Formats: sequence, structure tokens, C-alpha cells
Amino acid sequence: MSERDTDTIAAVITPPGRGGVGIVRLSGSLAFSIAQQVASKVPEPRMAHYGPFIDHDESLIDNGILLCFKAPHSYTGEDVVEFQAHGGPVVLDRLLQRCVASGARLANAGEYTERAFLNDKIDLAQAEAIADLIDAETTAAAKLAARSLQGEFSERIHNLVSALTHLRMYVEAAIDFPEEEIDFLSDGKVAGDVELLIEQVETLLAAANVGRVMRDGMTLVIAGRPNAGKSSLLNALVGNESAIVTDIPGTTRDVVKEQIQLDGMPLHLIDTAGLRDSSDVVEQIGIQRAHDAIAQADRILWVYDGDADPEHRSFEESNLPPHVPVTFLHNKADKTGRKIGLDANKKVFAVSAKQGEGIVELKAYLRQTMGLEQTTQGEFLARRRHIDAIERALEHIRTGKAALHEGLAGELMAEDLRHAQLALSEITGEFSADDLLGEIFAGFCIGK
Amino acid sequence: MFHADHYAVIVVGGGHAGTEAALASARMGQKTLLLSHNIDTLGAMSCNPAIGGIGKGHLVREVDALGGLMAKAADRGGIQFRTLNSRKGPAVRATRAQADRALYKAAVRAALEEQENLDLFQQAVDDLIVENGRAVGVTTQMGLKFRADTVVLTVGTFLGGRIHIGLENYQGGRAGDPPANALSLRLREQPFTVERLKTGTPPRIDKRSVNFSVLEEQPGDNPEPVFSFMADRSWHPQQIPCHITRTNQQTHDIIRGGMDRSPMYTGVIEGVGPRYCPSIEDKVVRFADKDSHQIFIEPEGLTSNELYPNGISTSLPFDVQWELVRSMKGFEQARITRPGYAIEYDFFDPRELKSSLETKHIEALFFAGQINGTTGYEEAAAQGLLAGTNAALKAQNKEAWCPRRDEAYLGVLVDDLITRGTQEPYRMFTSRAEYRLMLREDNADLRLTEKGRELGLVDDKQWQFFEEKREAIAKEQQRLKETFVRPNDLSIEQAHELLGDELRKETRAIELIARPKSDYAKVTSLAVVGPMHSDKPWAEQVREQVEIQAKYSGYINRQVAEVEKSKTAEAVSLPEDIDYALVKGLSAELTEKLARLRPQTIGQAGRIPGITPAALSLLLIHLKKRSA
Repeated sequence: MSERDTDTIAAVITPPGRGGVGIVRLSGSLAFSIAQQVASKVPEPRMAHYGPFIDHDESLIDNGILLCFKAPHSYTGEDVVEFQAHGGPVVLDRLLQRCVASGARLANAGEYTERAFLNDKIDLAQAEAIADLIDAETTAAAKLAARSLQGEFSERIHNLVSALTHLRMYVEAAIDFPEEEIDFLSDGKVAGDVELLIEQVETLLAAANVGRVMRDGMTLVIAGRPNAGKSSLLNALVGNESAIVTDIPGTTRDVVKEQIQLDGMPLHLIDTAGLRDSSDVVEQIGIQRAHDAIAQADRILWVYDGDADPEHRSFEESNLPPHVPVTFLHNKADKTGRKIGLDANKKVFAVSAKQGEGIVELKAYLRQTMGLEQTTQGEFLARRRHIDAIERALEHIRTGKAALHEGLAGELMAEDLRHAQLALSEITGEFSADDLLGEIFAGFCIGK
Repeated sequence: MFHADHYAVIVVGGGHAGTEAALASARMGQKTLLLSHNIDTLGAMSCNPAIGGIGKGHLVREVDALGGLMAKAADRGGIQFRTLNSRKGPAVRATRAQADRALYKAAVRAALEEQENLDLFQQAVDDLIVENGRAVGVTTQMGLKFRADTVVLTVGTFLGGRIHIGLENYQGGRAGDPPANALSLRLREQPFTVERLKTGTPPRIDKRSVNFSVLEEQPGDNPEPVFSFMADRSWHPQQIPCHITRTNQQTHDIIRGGMDRSPMYTGVIEGVGPRYCPSIEDKVVRFADKDSHQIFIEPEGLTSNELYPNGISTSLPFDVQWELVRSMKGFEQARITRPGYAIEYDFFDPRELKSSLETKHIEALFFAGQINGTTGYEEAAAQGLLAGTNAALKAQNKEAWCPRRDEAYLGVLVDDLITRGTQEPYRMFTSRAEYRLMLREDNADLRLTEKGRELGLVDDKQWQFFEEKREAIAKEQQRLKETFVRPNDLSIEQAHELLGDELRKETRAIELIARPKSDYAKVTSLAVVGPMHSDKPWAEQVREQVEIQAKYSGYINRQVAEVEKSKTAEAVSLPEDIDYALVKGLSAELTEKLARLRPQTIGQAGRIPGITPAALSLLLIHLKKRSA
């Protein structure tokens, strides 16, 4: 059997969760050159090298250990590189993204083992297991992908795909049917549509922002009248978290902002209680920062005393930034007897902060509002694949737009749009040339 | 009783597929017999009198690059030539010729009669002789048996053909010709999957009854494009224009009024028609908001008084046809010379073919043209050439050949058919070709002629022409690479004209050609560069080629890289005896699909709808285990 394609593949190979150490593995012809870019060094094969892993913008991803294996003396029989970093999804995701941006692609289910087998690194006895592995991982990956594609995200992807298909329909119809009075390339329609499409993709990527939320975390404002139970809530959220509670580095005076980890993802909590009574100049700076943070917040939790103020009339919009979604937190549910959790209208969430009741549910709810229902790395990776595909599609659409503008004509843009569709097909399934023709024949009366 | 002569290749059918198949096999030195029920209809254009168009023109050039006839016959018979998409890029430009039916047919007939190693015989074929799962000959209507090493069937719409006009219908292979029913019945006894398709034609009009003075004229291009690489404008007969009219509200009312007698809409026709070539009744129903459709009025020839109104294909009853024709501008007094009709015919599921167009069920039997579910003269000709070539190779026990998807539209056509099948008459479009930027009309010879020569399809004259041209291209490219243009060489006006900007540094002439506003003519008109001096017939083709390659180079390099990645999958073949039930981890659905379609390579398997990358991995692992 000849060697298959030499695509360089990348994946997090340590089990999902927050282990102490996580490993990103690369296999393929670009592995060493990517290692050089990320670690500024390619150590001797099988010699450990400790040093910084650097992102494109020169920022530090993590300090870790780099191992290189020269083909054929590696697990897959190809050039292999392993980055050992601190566990936890944020660092590993950044590292993975860095590898992909440098020329690798995300590995498919069982692909390392498959390559190992095809390159004679695994004997026949082990081979039986590989088929099972691929089968199992493919099924699992499909399930995860489906789960990642639920809800609003799915709808937006769907809209994006149909906008792209629509644009291609116009471009290809103009090319294949020049005598049908449908030359949208010359009448400016396509040029306008591609502009809109780019905006649409950018908006989608911004909204999907998994990367941002993963890296920077979500900012949550806890607001409410004194004695509504904000501190108890904060304590309950923080206290349940066995991991670190840290002050934000560089804002040591900023006592109002705390960070917790929600399944490995940073969650910034801002307690508006701390925003009052400040005369200290330094503290005022901190408060100004907190106000800025509140303006950028992802969500506001308005805590009220469910016993004293069941209709949450105490809500003061004036001090809060507009456009930030608000969840009303009915506290002291142990007294009011209100059912713990989100109500039917999805507006009010009931907890008993002091008793710690509803805190687990609240965290799950917060994860959901972050667009990160996925709690495991596997599910997160599925979403990562989608974002990766959309980013590649965007890149192609931009190149296509440039080709059209250079006046070179539509067939070059068509080529870029085809690549964009190929990228999106990784999410939505195959879209064949015949499917496209079907759209054209349904949309235009062709028939000389 | 067998006829005394034993043939290497027998071709059944004398349409565009059959003639190219017979010519190809004969050019390769194989003793070939072409059987047709009527020698006078060899090379007939049964549908509209035109060759080429987007995607189709590409196929014609490929046939030409492989030594085939169609482009040359179009140059001999073409009475109007145009380059479609001339304002778009070279990859999607295509040549189209209106043909004089009589001149075209005469050119085909002459080529067949001049061809060495080729015998013509007039007899309908009633049966295929199969021994031990291998085709060994045919039996004609009068019981004559011919033996051959291989048989190519190119029977078009004649298998089980049924013609519909209104609710009336009768058996026919084409208006005026009988169907091949005996053969159809015999083939239905074989293990092929048979399906029905439908196509149609418009009524023909008497030219003398049309008022041209009120119609829009559509002239050909000046200078006229030429189809064959080897031809020039002197081959072309007199050139005449086409005209355009339109349907109107009244036309549509007449059509709606006749719907209760439409065989399509009353369920009499079961075959599926093409979506891109709907009948006029289809257009009116499906696009009800469109109040007018263009109709292209194509002359049938210089000496014919008939017109072909392209765009009103119909199977409505004759009285409705008469009225709808007369409702259009310029057609108020029009007389129909032949009614329009729809025809239903058998085709065989092309997924039961190998890429050589040999059937998987019966060895040494090849199918080409409409029998495979395609439509169009050009699609038929290209398949005919391939089937004839492979039949000739098989007769010599040589390995089959088929171009890959990145080498030819012919490769795209065959690969689409054998991996995806078709639900409607399959027509070529450039959007079907993922390597569209590489598969251009202008470089068909550079893609295929060398292979054609190796196969024995390309004669000495064409080969010499090609070699000289190819060498001249390389030489001119080298010259432009070595010629530098310095900022001082250009006046401000020249720089603006070429670049829309000033030239900042010394630049190779070839790189200047690649700039968006620039072209070959502009750059070679600079004193420092100068023109290419040649009066050879290929000189113009060389200049064009140099410009296109320079302008497309970035995109072409990207496609070449893409092709390289897919090549490994194409090279892994799947053995014919593979038992898909033994492939571990493969779902029942995919196992069934692969077992039924039996792809020849991993690449083909990957293009079958529903086959996933994971399934391909499982196949590779299985193959490796098998070989261990």
C-alpha cells in the first residue's frame, strides 16, 4: 500500500476533562515546521525540550514540553510532534488552533491509529480493533456534532449555507447559461451579495465566539438591592468551586471582581455591591474599570429577595447597561417555596443561595447561556470543528470577492465560492454540483 | 450462420457516439464494423442544428484533441460561429456553431468512408451474442451473424422508443425512423437495470412563412471562432444569422388551454425529462410569473427552408402547437413543417459501467451515448470516442484508459455517470467540473493530444502540428520570462494603460501580462518586448495560450496541488472480488451500496453519494488486511 495523503493532522490526545497535563499531537509532513513556529525550536528526536509555546501574535500560550519523533520512528510512522501543556480546555484549544492556523487540519476519528496501521506500525492482531475504534469514534463524533449543532447556532449555519448557495446559484447560472438573460455577474448583483454574505459570516463567527468565551471567559454581573443575597450567591458560586478563586492579575485593588472556573472556563463575577462608597482615588479607578466591565458584560443576574419582593419591583435599569440580557434571580426560595430552577417563561431563576440549593442548576444554566452547553472536551471539539470550517469558508469568500473586484471575471470567484461551500459541507453534509444545478433550475427558467 | 469476416470491434448505431467510436477504433488500426439501420442517416442531427456551447464546446475540443471528428465536421458544416461567455474568463468561454444539417452529415459520411479499417453495413441489429458472459458478436434483422472481439452499443433513443404528440403516441426511434424493439427486449433479458427517460423537440417552421423584418437578428462573431485546432476559417461555408422572438401572454394562454391534452401533464409519459431543457408547457407552468420566454430561431441549413425554433420543445397536440407558434411575433403566418414531439426511451443505469464504458455485467460489451442516460451530441461523441478506444484496446488485450476528472470533461462525464448515475438526461455543465480552471477549450490539446498519440488516435499530421505548437509555447514563455521591462521603458501613459499605476521596479514581461489590466497584446507591443514572429497556423493559438497560462497561474497552481492530493486515492484500486460484507465496521447500508456499485478505486468509492471518509478508512484497512 502506498502512503496516503500527507496532510498534517492535529488533535488533543489526552482524555477530556481537566487533567494536570494535556497533549496536542501533530502527525504529518508539516509537523516539524509547525513545532518550529510554536516553540521556536525543533529538539533532537525523542529529546524533551521545555520552553514557551507562542501564539501568532507572540503572546504566550503556555510553558510546556515539546517532543519530536522522526519518521518512521514514531507512533504513526510519520513525523510526529507532541506538545505537553497544562491540562484544561482553554490552553489546549489555543494550542490546537495555533497548529491548525499553521497548516495542520483537525484529525478525524481514529486517524492516528489508522495511519499507524497503514504505515505498518501496528501489527495485524491490533488491526481488528482499529475498525471498531473508527466506527465507535465516528458514531460518537457524529452525536457530538449533532448536539453542537442544536439551537440557534444551527439555524444561523443553515441560513449561512443557504445564502452561500444562493450566491453560487447566481454566479454559476451566469457562467453556465449566458444566453438566458440572467447575467448577474455583469449587473452588480453578485458583487453586492458577496458583501452581505461576508458580513453575515463575520456576525456568525462573532456570535459563535466560542474561542473568545473559552479564552477570556464570560463576564457576569451580580446586581441587586442590599440584602437581596448577592454575597451569599457569590459565595455559593465560588464556594462550590473546588478549584482556585483568584483575583484578576493586575487589579489587586479591584475587590469587586472575582474569577471562578466553570468546568475549566473562566467566569468573571462582578458584584455591584462593591461599587458603592468609594473615596479612595485608587479604588475609584478600580470602580471605573468595573463599570467598563459591566458595560461589556455577557449577562446580568438581578438578585432579589423572593420573600420580600416577589414581583422583583426593586429592579433598577438605570444603573445597568442596556442590551445586556438580564436573568432575574429569585433568592431565598427555601422561604418562598418556589420551585428551584428556571421558570416556564425563562425569565426567573429560583435558588436558595444560603442553603446552596439550585447552585448546580444555575451553573448549568450559565453554561447554556454561554453557548457552551457542551461540557466535555469532545463536545467542545465538535463545535471547534464547525468554527474552523466557517473560518475557512470566510477566507475563501474574501479571496473570491477580491478576484471579482480585480475585474478578472466570475469564474475565479466561483472557484473560491466552491471552496467555501466545501468547507461548510463538513458541517452540513455533501452539497454536490448536481444539487447546485438543481437550485439553478428551480430558481431560473433555463431552457434554450 | 456467421459472416466470414471477424471484426475486432463492432459498433452498433451511427449517431454521434457510434461514428466517433468506429472512427477511433479504426484509427487505432483495429478492423471495425459500423452497423446502422440506415446508412443515409449516419451523423444525423436529430435535435437542434447546433454543436457546442458551454461545457459541450469543451467536450468537442477534447474529441478533437484525441483525433476525433466532431470539431472538424462542425467547421465544415457551421453556418454561424460564436464564442459564448467571451466577456468572462477563458476557462468558461465556449465555442458554439449553428450547423447546416446536410453539410454536417456529408462531412461525417466522407470521414467514415475515407477511414481505413472501417466497414459500413446497413442492417438493424436484433440481438447480442453472448458466450460465457462475454459479448462475441451481434445478429442482424435478417439473421446475419457477425463475430467480434468487442461490441459497442450506441443506439441512442431507439431502444423501446415511443413518440408522443398530444395524447397520441406510437413506437419510433426518432421521427421518421423505427425503434429497435427486438434489441431492447433482448437487452432487458440481461441483468442490466433499465429505466426510462424523456426528451423532446419543437415543431419545425417553414422559413418562407416567417416575417424576419420584425425580428431581432443575432449575428455570429466576427472574426469567426474555429472549432478544430487543425482547422481555419477557410473551412467554413457561407455564414448566416439567427433570429430571436419571444412568447407572450397569448402564447401562454394557448398553452394552458391545451394542458388537458398534454401527455406530460395527464400522466401518459412516465420518463423523466431534463430540468435544463423543459418543454414550453413546463416553463409556463413552473414559472407562471414569467410573462415571456426567449425563442432562438435557428436555420436548419443554407439550402433548407426549415427553421428550428429553439425554446418551444413541446408534446402538446398539433392544433395547440399550430396556434402557439402563430401567437408569436413574426410567426403570425408561420407554417409548421414537422410537429414537435416528446420521445421516451430506455437507458441503462450507468453505474453498472466501468470507467472504460465496458459493462460490469457482460465483458467486452461497451455502451456509449444516450443509452447511458446522457443527452447531447457532444456528450455522445465524447463517450463514443472513449468506448471505441477501449473496445480497440480490449481487442488487443491492452489496459483500458479513461481520463481523470482533472484531465478532461470527458473524465468528469464518465466519473459522474459511473459513481452517481443519473435521474434525468445528463448534460455537461462547467459547474460539474471542480477543476474547471484547468479544463479549458483552449488547452484541450495540451491536456490530451499526447495521450491520444500514445493510444494511436492521433495521426502524424496532427501530432506534428501539436508538437510544433507546444514547443513554440514553451519558447515564447521563456522569452517573456527573460525579458525585463524597466520603469524607464514605459511612458506614463503606457504604464497607466498596462497597470493603472506606474511601474516601480524592473519586472519580467510575463509577470506584466498577469496583471489584471494588462494582456499579451499590450505587453508585446512595448518596444522593449516586441511581438512573437511566426506565420505558422498555430501562432495565434500560442499567443492565446501564453496569455491564459500567465493570467491563471495562481489559481491553476492551487488546483494542481488539489489534484496531487486526490491522486493517491485514485491509484488505490478495489479488487473486483472484494466481499464488502467482510469489511469490518461498515454499516449495512454502505455495505449494500458498495456491493451493488463495485467501484474500481478508492477515489471512485469516495465520490459515491453517502460514502464517508470513515468508510474509506475502513476500506483501506480491509485492503491492507487482505494483502497481509
